[in-house]
Amino acid sequence: MAWELASFPAELLRVDAARVQALAAAEPALAGVDVDVARPGEPIRITHVLDAVEPRIRPDGRPAFPTEGRAGLGRTNRLAGVAVVSCLDFPGEERPLHEQEGIIDLAGPGAEVTPFGAMANVVLTFKPVAGAGHVAIDQAVRRVTLAVAQLLAEPTLEAEPAEVERFELGRPTPGLPSIAALVQLSDLGQLYIQYVYGAPAGMAGLPRAFDPAELLDGAVTCGEYHWASMRNPTIFNQGSALVRALYREHGKRLNFAGLVLMRGYEQTAADKQGAAEAAARLARQLGADGAIITTDAGGNSHTDTMLTCRACERAGVRTAVIVSEQADPTSTETGLVDWVPEADCIVSVGNSEDSVPAWAPERVLGGELLLDGTRAREAGPIKTQDYLGATNQMGQLDLAARTW
Amino acid sequence: MVKAVHYVNQFFAGLGSEEAARTPPSRLAGAVGPGRGLQAALEGIEIAATITCGDDYFAEHEAEAVARLLELFEAEEAGILVAGPAFGSGRYGYACARLAAAVAERGTPAVAAMHEENPGVAAAGKAYVVPTAVNVAGMREALPRMAALAGALASGRELGPPEEEGYLPRGVRRNYRTGRLGAERAIDLLLAKLSGETRTEVSSGFDRVEPPAPVPDLSHALLALVTEAGCVPQGNPDRLPTIRARGWLRYSLAGRATLAPDEWECVHGGFDVALANEDPNRLVPLDTVSELVGEGRIGRLHDAFYTTTGNGTPAAVSARFGQEIARDLKEAGVEAVLLSGT
Repeated sequence: MAWELASFPAELLRVDAARVQALAAAEPALAGVDVDVARPGEPIRITHVLDAVEPRIRPDGRPAFPTEGRAGLGRTNRLAGVAVVSCLDFPGEERPLHEQEGIIDLAGPGAEVTPFGAMANVVLTFKPVAGAGHVAIDQAVRRVTLAVAQLLAEPTLEAEPAEVERFELGRPTPGLPSIAALVQLSDLGQLYIQYVYGAPAGMAGLPRAFDPAELLDGAVTCGEYHWASMRNPTIFNQGSALVRALYREHGKRLNFAGLVLMRGYEQTAADKQGAAEAAARLARQLGADGAIITTDAGGNSHTDTMLTCRACERAGVRTAVIVSEQADPTSTETGLVDWVPEADCIVSVGNSEDSVPAWAPERVLGGELLLDGTRAREAGPIKTQDYLGATNQMGQLDLAARTW
Repeated sequence: MVKAVHYVNQFFAGLGSEEAARTPPSRLAGAVGPGRGLQAALEGIEIAATITCGDDYFAEHEAEAVARLLELFEAEEAGILVAGPAFGSGRYGYACARLAAAVAERGTPAVAAMHEENPGVAAAGKAYVVPTAVNVAGMREALPRMAALAGALASGRELGPPEEEGYLPRGVRRNYRTGRLGAERAIDLLLAKLSGETRTEVSSGFDRVEPPAPVPDLSHALLALVTEAGCVPQGNPDRLPTIRARGWLRYSLAGRATLAPDEWECVHGGFDVALANEDPNRLVPLDTVSELVGEGRIGRLHDAFYTTTGNGTPAAVSARFGQEIARDLKEAGVEAVLLSGT
């Protein structure tokens, strides 16, 4: 089975604020939305960023972010170089989990550390209805953001694509090593959840093998607002560098054995162990000689990564794991939250505690005050941790930490 | 002009060889021995004094030697310490590194120089170490390198990476752009590993803790309660962070047999705390332990419990908390710990 992804240039972007506002107006938990476009080089800082989504639409009329049926079949159009960015300052209320600050800079040193500094960002600053509750507000924001992403891709239906990529895995080539992608999706509770076909990762029957094209085609969407740099917004799933690279290398340096989606933040020691072993079994069933294990967010999701690494190695599947470091940049102490001796091949995607130099934006979108109370215009150096996706553990960027 | 102090051992200070190795710390005016060559290479820095100590004296009276050398250093009100070069000499290298670390710890730039395999390198802490040849034949190359790094440090500018600035990596982790995506590097590393060459971009630095021997007789032991569940008095008066705690706290249990929900709360940011807040004893099991003490199954309960937030905390930081708490417990004569994790 094959899936085609047709790319269209960002010049097709037309933002009709009234249509976006109409989508928000249909949501009882939302009081409105401000719509702005922030382009590379403009002296703009975007704050309170929750998610970023690439505009997508299917010419056959099926939804771009399906909650039923199957993604990764037929053709999907994408508006390349554009991100729909949802921003919200959740009302203060008693709740178990709190969103962390998320920043995108369009100029200055911060523009270099996230991919969004080089993209046209359609910024949706949502205004919640007081008392609606974080669950309803979050659901509404995600619904509208995905709908806007589909809306903005509509002009592609009348245009000629710049490029059409075909994703289809041919027969494995004998003699090449088989590599599986084991992709972790958070589910710690509301605001810390990745969704699989609209279902929280913890209720999606994970770990489970998927067609890798499903990940690239909108099957996984993000409602995970833990540390921004270690967050995997929807657009990283849509554009998974790992899955794309494995497709590209298939039949050349390796055989792409397949994709396993796993839950991060399994909630008990027994569940963590059981899920790790189940993921390893799936990798074996796919015939993998090796597996690349990605991580989502931080804290005990790193334990899930490490236990999965150990389970794979014990099952005879060799591993490389991708994790962010979190080391005090003035200290020589290690920055890993968890580790097993089997994790002898770790890709660094940077140290989230290292700072990005200060920069004074002329304009702030999303909210003037950062969550820590400092003014976004006058903030001094900001930890890499606060920049959206800067040390993401899917391997989307070229950042790494090295020893000084 | 920035003032510098140069540290050398008894031999390079001209006090004598092994027979002078027990010489206690002393001060010499201006640049001495290799300090003269160093002075010639320095720009904008003047060696105001040389401080020296016998290698054996330093090894045998380390604390006194460091304290006295620090006094001598601080009396000069210098902007930088330069130590060595010690080349491959273990005792001299250690003294250079140890003194440089002490100076750097106080916030003054310090640079030592020695061979990269000199065991002293490990003692340099936050000080910088310039690599040199293994023996004194490398003096001529070493001095300009020391001078260059000293100049960079004295200028107050932020140093670049080790290979550009000419110092040995100290172990801090800084970000840089590799030019190749993490996903592509993962594939490269995994294919290399499958063909027999295992490499990593992050080494763990973790230690493995051997479990201690079982408590011989719990019915006579002093037991303490320790938790990383973020259990604190209502209102979190000491502001324990919900995530990435930088320290731990100790709260008295004197006169208590249970933790009442209106007096205690959980501020841990890594799990749903609703059930924990209904009954804080489920985080710090004081009620059950008190019963067991009453039944004589546990000897006595330590009169305080220890708490932190174990949430996104790097293992090295957690290890420090553990060592500090363990020291406190040992001093109190605690023989057993019930550690409740979340």
